[in-house]
Amino acid sequence: MQKTGWRLTKSELREWLDRLLRENRRVIAPVDRDGLRYFRPVTSADEVNLDPGKTRWSPKEFLFPRTEPLYTYDLRANGPELHDPPLPEQEQVVVGVRCCDAAGLVRLDEVFLKGKVEDPLYARRRALTTIVAFACAEVEPECFCTAVGGSPMGTEGVDLLVIPFGADWLVRPVTEKGRALAQEAWKAASREAWSLAEEQGQRVAQEIARTPVAKEWAATLEQNFDSPVWKDVAGRCLSCSICAYVCPSCSCFDVHHEGNPWGGREIRCWDACTYALFTLHASGHNPRGGSDARYRQRALHKFSYLAPGEDDVIRCVGCGRCIALCPAGIDIHDAVRRVVASSQEGDAHGRG
Amino acid sequence: MAEVEAMNNPYRPHLLRIAAARDETPDVRTLTLRFVDEDDGARFPGWEPGQFGEYTVFGAGECVFALANTSNGEQGTSPVLECTYRAIGKVTAALRGLDIGHVIGFRGPYGNSFPLADWHGRDLVFLGGGIGMAALRAALLSVLEHRSDFGEVLVLNGARTVVDMVYQEEMPAWEKLEGVRVVRTVDPGGETQGWDGEVGLIPEVFERQGLSTDGRIVIACGPPIMLHFLFKSLEKLGYSPQQVITTLENKMKCGFGQCGRCNVGSFYVCRDGPVVSWEQMRALPDDF
Repeated sequence: MQKTGWRLTKSELREWLDRLLRENRRVIAPVDRDGLRYFRPVTSADEVNLDPGKTRWSPKEFLFPRTEPLYTYDLRANGPELHDPPLPEQEQVVVGVRCCDAAGLVRLDEVFLKGKVEDPLYARRRALTTIVAFACAEVEPECFCTAVGGSPMGTEGVDLLVIPFGADWLVRPVTEKGRALAQEAWKAASREAWSLAEEQGQRVAQEIARTPVAKEWAATLEQNFDSPVWKDVAGRCLSCSICAYVCPSCSCFDVHHEGNPWGGREIRCWDACTYALFTLHASGHNPRGGSDARYRQRALHKFSYLAPGEDDVIRCVGCGRCIALCPAGIDIHDAVRRVVASSQEGDAHGRG
Repeated sequence: MAEVEAMNNPYRPHLLRIAAARDETPDVRTLTLRFVDEDDGARFPGWEPGQFGEYTVFGAGECVFALANTSNGEQGTSPVLECTYRAIGKVTAALRGLDIGHVIGFRGPYGNSFPLADWHGRDLVFLGGGIGMAALRAALLSVLEHRSDFGEVLVLNGARTVVDMVYQEEMPAWEKLEGVRVVRTVDPGGETQGWDGEVGLIPEVFERQGLSTDGRIVIACGPPIMLHFLFKSLEKLGYSPQQVITTLENKMKCGFGQCGRCNVGSFYVCRDGPVVSWEQMRALPDDF
């Protein structure tokens, strides 16, 4: 670990957040609402919840909104008149992002920035966004970032990393964008402090006991597409799709029209492969007609269907929200682990 | 109003006016579309047989159809697009409510195309089931336009019933060309009095033709159940998986590999397809 950066007291940290707010930026941070924690734009550092633990939803909506217009149209006598949506202009800092969620945003980049077409709205928002991550000092029961290549102190997708350190906070720049937010008056943290922080990170990571997802699982899972274990692990899926909505890396969306005889708009909104209508053809044919087939698609898209050049990128970042919130008690990590294990048992018994 | 910064919006459609409409069957229609703005049309890059587009009915949404004619409008002129669609869902029903003069949106072309250059000198079979023929029409027209580059052509156009057969008006012109044969067939029970075509499902009618498999390329499109039995039949006849090409269809929204619904395994029908060989298709998970 790079051992440069600063050490701040809690009040210095809050002062800094207030300062960011004064500089005409939107600051988005975890706040408490109705007994739950959500990312919301804040107006004062006092609103920000700095405690361990995750927000209910990941911060992806601030880069990939739940709903956004793609263009609007007016229907005139001589035909429609189209208008592009305005490109976002305001800088934003998302503070208090967990390292898993920051890695989730990198998965969104793969879809919206690195494919055949770059999405201009996402690209602009991404360029205007700085991610200030808070390392985890405690794990939650559903956490498994270490099983999918992450870490409670991971820096993938992070611009500035803030590490809780006793009553204080250590701050480490990861990118130039992150460094630009640092204050000149900050005091450097000692070498010892960084060593202790690193030990703390390792200790936290060790609390996560989940089986690591091996690189070979991708191929094994696809070869076991027809495994009866999928029915066992996912047959009880209710297709409610909360897993996709809370997921920091799920990026599927719907495109449709809202309008009246005078005009309207084309909008994009979050959608999920676990919904029965997601792939339903107009003819009535549905390639993924059963909830187990849909759940298998979700699991394989995270762990197996990797686009060319993304060989070892697992799309799941191990936040575990889908496990904690699934009303049917489906555990995605356990599901894929069981499919892989059943295949290996099959091999041991001389089956293919 | 503040000036909106220009953006390269991948969702903003071209505006096209319905210039002509032809009812193929009670629920299938072919539209001829022209760019509202000729300059916009002149800049349009053209397309290859097999590619598709997203068509917008403002207020109702978008739907996906193949580009059913061959690219035209070279030398900076505005091209004419054709599509054949079946009014079956919400958007296509709304489209059926539009007529000549109405303006719709179009974005594309998307997807890959038929490997026509690989077919030079080969005998070809076009097998279309119902609206599936629409996805083959551009490739067929291209072959007919460059007739001497290819061997014998058999078109097998199948439909549920006699009235459901698409391109009835065009087939006589196709079969007038030397070395082109058109076989029409309807499902058993779909024939009417005086029907002089075949009766039977596409796989069995194709088997009845008794053609040699030598070097022949089979290009097929139809509902999943037709393809299922067709592949069994082609396997029995001794066709190799490289000789058979199809074009897939799945529900799509974006058209370029982002919205996440048309995939079969890691193959995105919109981005990596829609044209696939039977060989490629066999390597994909059974998620059709």
